[in-house]
Amino acid sequence: MIHIDIPGVWIIVPAFNEAQVIGEVVAGLRARFANVVCVDDGSRDDTGAVALRAGAHVVRHPVNLGQGAAIQTGVEYARHQPGATVFATFDADGQHRIADLVAMIDRLGDGDVDIVIGTRFGGSASHGVAGRTPPLKRLILRAAAWLSPSSRRLGLTDAHNGLRVFNRTVADNLTLTMSGMSHASEFVSLIDEHRWRVAELPVQILYTDYSMSKGQPLLNGVNIVFDGFLRGRMRR
Amino acid sequence: MNWIQVLLIAAVVTLLIYLLRSRTNAKAKAWVKVGYLLFVVAAVYAILRPDDTTVLANWLGVDRGTDLLSYALIIAFVFTTLSTYLRFKELELKYARLARAVALQTAQTPQSRSDPT
Repeated sequence: MIHIDIPGVWIIVPAFNEAQVIGEVVAGLRARFANVVCVDDGSRDDTGAVALRAGAHVVRHPVNLGQGAAIQTGVEYARHQPGATVFATFDADGQHRIADLVAMIDRLGDGDVDIVIGTRFGGSASHGVAGRTPPLKRLILRAAAWLSPSSRRLGLTDAHNGLRVFNRTVADNLTLTMSGMSHASEFVSLIDEHRWRVAELPVQILYTDYSMSKGQPLLNGVNIVFDGFLRGRMRR
Repeated sequence: MNWIQVLLIAAVVTLLIYLLRSRTNAKAKAWVKVGYLLFVVAAVYAILRPDDTTVLANWLGVDRGTDLLSYALIIAFVFTTLSTYLRFKELELKYARLARAVALQTAQTPQSRSDPT
């Protein structure tokens, strides 16, 4: 049974070498949403073929570019589709819950914000699964949020959450240039620069062994901070 | 004249000829060429009269001309490294846009697949 909550919703799933889990993730999304686009970021396995079979649109980078580039590609694909009004990014490794995504889409539907970002550190999430965020990771993620001036100004607590839901205004003006993992901070900077109205919603992250092994190493935080400093110095 | 002086001058002049012969992107390169010409003049002078660099160094509060040159070299190296890094980032961005254009042109929709069943 395919039950479509809201028409015009496009789910963007950036994926790199996720053939093991992408089928399940896409099938799960397709059970609720008509439009899923999987951006196969130059995977060496058959991620793209599996996603296509599971019912996703597939856009394939000829070479591996990084998650930021994949999200940008997905958004550019989705915003050219007729009737697309709501856009969401959803990680391919199965760490997000569809229930959270639906709640975020509902939140965007209230109409007073342009973008809703998931947070591991939201109020109600403190009891329950959020406690499962490994302590060191927790510390670093909070530090990353605190170190970013944009993040602080906007009052965001978890800018590196892969779950985001946004409207056409954001999709049409999104220009991520950081191809790698620094795109999350860049996303926050763009929200700040464009004065998009932003809200956070508590979500749960399913830390499975698989998603833990695929997650970015904590040391990558250093790269993210460094890229953030250089970003302002680049011509765009 | 020492052999090292001959070799250094030959190297600097050869680089100059290379640079002046490249005709790509005339306008931006023109200033680089002027700058390099000045550098060559200064370099040949410093090679022929190395003690004069010490005089210049003393004016600036540095003991030896060699030290002054190594400071200048460090600054130049850092500058080159950073500009190369930024240049690479720009190229990466262009490369990403190219790959994205290719990807969007070859997008597959779930309906368009040849269904094996």
